Formats: sequence, C-alpha cells, structure tokens
Amino acid sequence: MIPRKWKMTLKTHWVKITVTLTIIILILLAIWGMMSLESFYRNITLAQLPMQILLFAFNAAIFVWLYTVVLGRGFSKSSRKLTIRGELVNVKWSDVIGMDNVKNEAKEVVELIRDRVRVKKIGGKILRGILMFGPPGCGKTYLAKAIATETGLPFISMSGSEFVEMFVGVGASRMRALFKKARDLAYSYGGCIVFIDEPDAVARKRAFSVFGGTGEGKSTQNQLLAEMDGLQEVEERPGEPNPAQNIIVIGATNAPEDTLDRALRRPGRFDRILYIDRPNLEEREKLFDFYLSKVQYNKSTVDVKRLARKAVYKTPAEIESIVKESALIATRNKRDVIEDDDIIEAIERIEMGTKHNFNLTPKEKDMVAWHETGHLIVLYMLHPTKDVFKASIIGRRGALGVVHENPIEERFTRDREMLLSDIKICLAGFAAEKMRFNTTSDGVDSDFRQAMSIAHNMVWRWGMNDSGLIGDYTLIPESQISDGTKETLNQETNKIIKSCLKDVEDLLNKEKEVAERFVKELLEKQELDYDEIDAIFKEYGKVSVRGMSTR
Amino acid sequence: MIAKSRSTTFFILLIAGCWLLINLTGCYPTYPKGKLKESIVKICKKEYKLDVKVDTLGKTIAIYLPLSEDLLDFNFGLTKSAGEKIDDVITSATRVVLSTDADFDFYCVIVHDARIPEVQFVIIKYVYDVKRALLNDISRGEYGRRILFDLKLNPQAQKERAVKEVFEKMGIENKWQSEVMNDFFRSEPTALGDIGYWNGRFFIKDITLPEFLAEQIANRMKIEFREDKDISASYMIKSSKGSYQTKEGKRFFRLEVQAEPKIFTDIERKELPDVVFRTALTIINKVLYGYKYEDFDYFEILDIPSSRVLKVSKSDLESLRKNKISFEDLVKK
Repeated sequence: MIPRKWKMTLKTHWVKITVTLTIIILILLAIWGMMSLESFYRNITLAQLPMQILLFAFNAAIFVWLYTVVLGRGFSKSSRKLTIRGELVNVKWSDVIGMDNVKNEAKEVVELIRDRVRVKKIGGKILRGILMFGPPGCGKTYLAKAIATETGLPFISMSGSEFVEMFVGVGASRMRALFKKARDLAYSYGGCIVFIDEPDAVARKRAFSVFGGTGEGKSTQNQLLAEMDGLQEVEERPGEPNPAQNIIVIGATNAPEDTLDRALRRPGRFDRILYIDRPNLEEREKLFDFYLSKVQYNKSTVDVKRLARKAVYKTPAEIESIVKESALIATRNKRDVIEDDDIIEAIERIEMGTKHNFNLTPKEKDMVAWHETGHLIVLYMLHPTKDVFKASIIGRRGALGVVHENPIEERFTRDREMLLSDIKICLAGFAAEKMRFNTTSDGVDSDFRQAMSIAHNMVWRWGMNDSGLIGDYTLIPESQISDGTKETLNQETNKIIKSCLKDVEDLLNKEKEVAERFVKELLEKQELDYDEIDAIFKEYGKVSVRGMSTR
Repeated sequence: MIAKSRSTTFFILLIAGCWLLINLTGCYPTYPKGKLKESIVKICKKEYKLDVKVDTLGKTIAIYLPLSEDLLDFNFGLTKSAGEKIDDVITSATRVVLSTDADFDFYCVIVHDARIPEVQFVIIKYVYDVKRALLNDISRGEYGRRILFDLKLNPQAQKERAVKEVFEKMGIENKWQSEVMNDFFRSEPTALGDIGYWNGRFFIKDITLPEFLAEQIANRMKIEFREDKDISASYMIKSSKGSYQTKEGKRFFRLEVQAEPKIFTDIERKELPDVVFRTALTIINKVLYGYKYEDFDYFEILDIPSSRVLKVSKSDLESLRKNKISFEDLVKK
C-alpha cells in the first residue's frame, strides 16, 4: 500500500518526476553509448561536446531572438527602455497648465506618496493607484510625468495595447515582468511610478461566457488586478512599508468610466480617480500664453484673450496644434512672426479641414448657398449661446458648404430653448432650399439626423414634451412600451420638429432680403467670415438674439 | 523561494554529476599499453579471422600478415582478396594505435605473397597523419600521398640467399651456417627500405620522422613523374631515394633522382636537371611545410644522370615558398 503522502507527491510533481527520470535515462544512455566507443572516438566526442552545447545555446538564442522579433516586443520583455528616472522626466507643476483643479489633487497625491511612511504610521491607507479620465489631448500623460518629476521616483511608461498579444499568457507575462521591474526599481529608489496609457485595452469590463475559457485580455487583466492587490506585500521591518512595494500605478484613458472593470476601480487598486476636463476660459488664456511664448508672434495684433474666447472646448493639445499650425502658415506666407490672421487661419484649418474644389453646376452652387444662408441667419438671429465663426460654400471634409459655429462660452448643460435652437439651425438649410426652389436636396441628410436625434432625446429621454410622459423611455425595452405610449412620444417628437420648422420658415420669409444678400455675397466671395457677416446684418439693422457681439 | 532554490540546486548537482560521469568515461584507454600487441592480434582474429604477428620497436609497431593466397595478380597489382585483408589489418592497427596510452608514432604492415614468399608489400603510416585524416584536417588525396607503399623483394631474403650461396661454395656445414647467419647477417635494418619479415623474424627499425619525410618526398617524386601530364609526356623516373643525414654537424635531407627523357633529344636531356630540381623543390616545400618540420639545415638534390647537385638552405626554401625568390635565382646561387 503506497502511503497517501507519496501518492500526493506523485500527483503533484508527476511532470517534474517524469522530466527528471527522462533526463537521467537519456544521460545514462549517453554514458552507455560513450562507453561502447573506443577511447579515441570518445575523446573526440567529449572534445566536441562543449562546442556542440555552445552551438546549441547559440542556435536557441537566435531562434528565441527571431521569434520575439517576429512577435514584436517579445514574450515578456520588460520595459527597460521605457524606464526613466523621475527627475529626468523634468515636467514641473509650473509646466502643467490648464487643469488647475486636477493639479491641486495631483499635488495632494504627490504629498501622500512622499509621506508614505507617515501615512502608514498613523494607520492610513497607502495610495496604490490613480486613474485619470478625460478627453484626448487634455494632458493626462503630462500630468503623470509631472507627478513622477515631483516625487522624484522612476517612471515606467507602457501602453495598454502593449499587453495585448495573440498568444495566451503573453500579456499576463508582460504584466508580471513590468511589476517585477517596478518592484526592483522601487527597492532601489524607494518607489516607482507605473504609468499605463489607455488601460482600457486590458481593463475592459469582463464578460463571462457560458462556454467558459479564458481570453488573453482576461488573464492580463486578472494579472493586473493581482499585482495591484498587494498580496505580495511584506513588511521588511514592523510598521514600515517595504520600499519594494511602494509602487503607484497611474492609468490614463479617454474611455468612458463605466467601460472599465469595476474591480479595477475599487479602493485598494485605483484609489483616486481624477477627471480631467477641457480647460476653461482662463486656462485657455494661460495655454495660449504658454505656447505663444515658444514662438515669435506679433504682440500688437494677437489678442490672447480673444483667442481664448474663440477656442471654446479646445483641449491643450488642440491649442498647441493651433499655435504650431499658425507658425507653419506664417512661414508659408514668408513672415518672421505669427500674425493674428495666421492663428485664425490655423483654427479654421483645424476646425473645418482643408478645402476641396468640387465642380458644382451653377444651380447646385446656388442651392448650397441658400442652404448655408438658412443655417447662417437662424444661427445668428436665434441661437442664445452660439455665434457664427464662418460661412463657406467651399467643400471641406466631404461637405459642399458649412456654417461654422462657435460657442460663446463653455456650457455644461443645455436647456429646452438651446436644444430647440439647435434643431432650428439644423432645419434651416431645408427651409431655405424649400423657400427658394420649392424643392429640397439630399444635402439635408446630416442636418435631419442631428435634428431628429435632439428631438427624440428631448421627448424620449429628457421629458421635454407637452404630453405629460416624463422619464427616460429608452431604458425600457421596446416590447414593454405600449403602442399608444410610443405613438404619443413619436407624435411629440414630430410636433417639436414641425414647430421648429415653422419658426424657421417664418424667420426666413421675414428676412428674405437679408438672405438674398448673403447668397449673393457667398456666390461672389465663396466664404464670409464673422466680421463680414456681422457687418451685413448690421447694415440691415438686424441684431442677434444675444444682443451683442462676442468679439 | 526555498523550495525553488532546492530544486535548482538538485538539478545543478544532477547535471554536474552526469557531466562528471561522462567525462570519466574518457579517462581510460581502450587498449592499454601492456596489451597493445595482444589487442591487435585479438581484433584481427576475432573480427576478421586473420592471424597476424605483431612486434614493436621504440615508437614503431610492425604487423606481419602472412597470406594464404596470392598477393599479386598477373598485372602485378594487389588481388582483391589481399587488398581487403590488408585493409582489415590496417583498420585494426589504426583502432588500437589511436585508442591506446602507449606512445607510438608509426606503424607498418608487412604482407608476404603465398606463392613467392620473397615478394613483400610494406605499408608505413604516421599516426599523426591518421588522426588528421580522421578529423578531415587533410584531404583524402593528401592522406594517400603521405602513406608509404613499397612492393619489392624482401631485402633480408636476398641477402641470405647470397650468403647461403657463398656458404655452399665454401662447404660450411648447415648447423654452422645458421649460427653464422644469426650472428653476422641477421641484424636490425638501417634504412626504411630494409624493413620486412623473414623466416619467422621481424626486421624492423624505430622509424623517425625525418627519414619518413625523406622517403615520402622520394615517393612523391615518383608519383609526380607518373601523374603530371607535362612531365610524364617527356620524362620517366627510374629511381628516387630519399634520406636524412648528418655531416660535419649539419643535418640535411638528400634526394637522389634518376630520371631520363622518353625521347632522346638534346633539348630534353639539357632541361632534365631543371625539371627534376623544380619538381623536387615544389614537393619538398609542400611536405616540409605540411609537417612544419624545421630540424634541418639544408636540402641536397642530386640529379644522377648529370651528376648536378642543388643545395638549398632552409631559409632559401622558405623564401621560395613565399615567392620571395624565383627558382632561377635559386639555381644561379
């Protein structure tokens, strides 16, 4: 009877035992084979053995190298090249512009990282991770670099997509290698910051399949969770944190918050969540100041405050791009300094795209001009928070014409009147075409889609209707909503559209003379900028609903 | 962590132990020094059913293979059966010589014709050449040229026949004849050409590398005169003898060549010594450089028909090999 303990050992280590026995048998066979050789041939074999082993190792190394090259960055290659000492990152708080609120929070985080020992002593919870959400180009990576500089800790940067590989286990292996390196660095320098850009590539909500199986992404994500859990945390001295465990993971993503796995967002992993939004007016002004200070510009013509007002909703990256683009435009225009016109042209190019010359027939051109004039008049005269930036009948990004609008200031909510104005602007092109030609074109496609979407949401989701049906009906499965309710809601949606269309038609009929003038101007000049538009309206004694110019 | 390091140590020890075992297998020779002769006899008997006799002298092994059939066919070539048996003996000798702890440099195989016992075939091999050939350090063709083959009448047999004739004429009794023969006419040979086996006794000498090289050069001269198209078209070699001598404290090689034109015209006869010298020098340089042999002061070439002697110093040979001087310069010197 074999004792259970032996049975268990056999069960647990059967692979090791088999491998060991195989090796021993092979070696014994090799010895037996050698013994059967005459000493001369035996000596030759022995003399060749080290070289054969060396060649085998060399071939294996070449194979592994080629294999890893073919697969990209290798199975579990650590981010050696991506490791930077904190002080070498050299992004200071003063360099982080346009996110004052978040910066203050980040400063607090840095203090917590620095005072880790003190936090631990008073029994506080040690910070493990910071997750930054925000639109692209808002400076999340920049802020992470600033945190690294201010803490003076080594900084390892990896993109979430670097963990994604077609082979199962490779991502998890890279994750282990990353944290091993981070622990080593933390042991040497007292801490380490791991920055994972776009962690949503590996940290999406896990979906559990009834068919079972473990996907590559899931195993990578589980590894990340395990590494961040701190299971391996061991105190070197009682009461003092082990420096090897002083790892702070910073994630930055522009994916919606709810797309990330909840397990990742729970306290103990990403403890702090920072929301980085687009800069406000004051911050945009600072950003323009900062980026313009790096180029030569005409201070007498360039009004930074006005630029900041024009660049509503622009991210720091976009502002930087505007300044760089204006430098290119100035160079192309053979100027040594950037003028105001260069910046305006740069904004226009970034906002509206480059021009395309479509060969339109005169009638098509006329129709496009009327369509855009419709948008222009309604936008100027009815919208409470938006201004006209430019009207054009030159093709851009696939559109035959455009009336570019510019928000006067940042708005974080929209009321019924604003939404109705948006719908009216969308319907204005259709109304203008119908008024002039008694027919309409398919150029209204995207306008109608936008108008319907707003009207639908107003009625179905936001309770902005007169039927008394309040609530978000999109959350209820369609099969559970009665036909009557659906009909009522759809009627309300249609009512809004019709009502808006009537208002637009009335306005355009009333301002037909102005409209004809704009059409004439557009057909002549192709493009009208704000000053020209404003001048024409003033010529006819028309004032916008806002009552004053934003300029 | 501890478990991991334990298993690593176990594996390292296991691999190291096996490595040691494998290496130990190479430590002892398959054919120890004391059992060398016995080993050759045993292999020949056990594996090839051949009865051979073995003797050693200094760093030379001699193996005698008596044939129960003819050695030569009607064209004076080796018979197929004799060739195969000689190959078997050479293979056995090679195996033993390579896998022994005894220090042997040369081995020779002596074969006698069953029909005419006085005709013998001697093969002499240098052990170092055999090793190099096995490791492909030299080509098969070059290896073949480094082996000395000699088919001739047994020198001892010739000598004894002549002495016996004298004894007969002198009327010496048979019992005295054998005693006198043993005392005065049966001694170790002084030249490679005298190596042989006669009347149950080996006549071998401890072969040295320089005399082996001298004989090899002479042998190569014969081959060259036979195989080179241009030379063989006009000339033929009658004899070529090589030796290594010491005179007045100087060590030198001497090559005596007797060649003659196939067509007797004045031009060929006049050019013959130059052909001999030029061919000999090419061979000498190739052989001596091939063996990296430098223990000599000069090389002497004698063209027997013209009695012209070309004496070339070691440094001149080196210069000729490196094309620093031409053959013409050397002859003028």
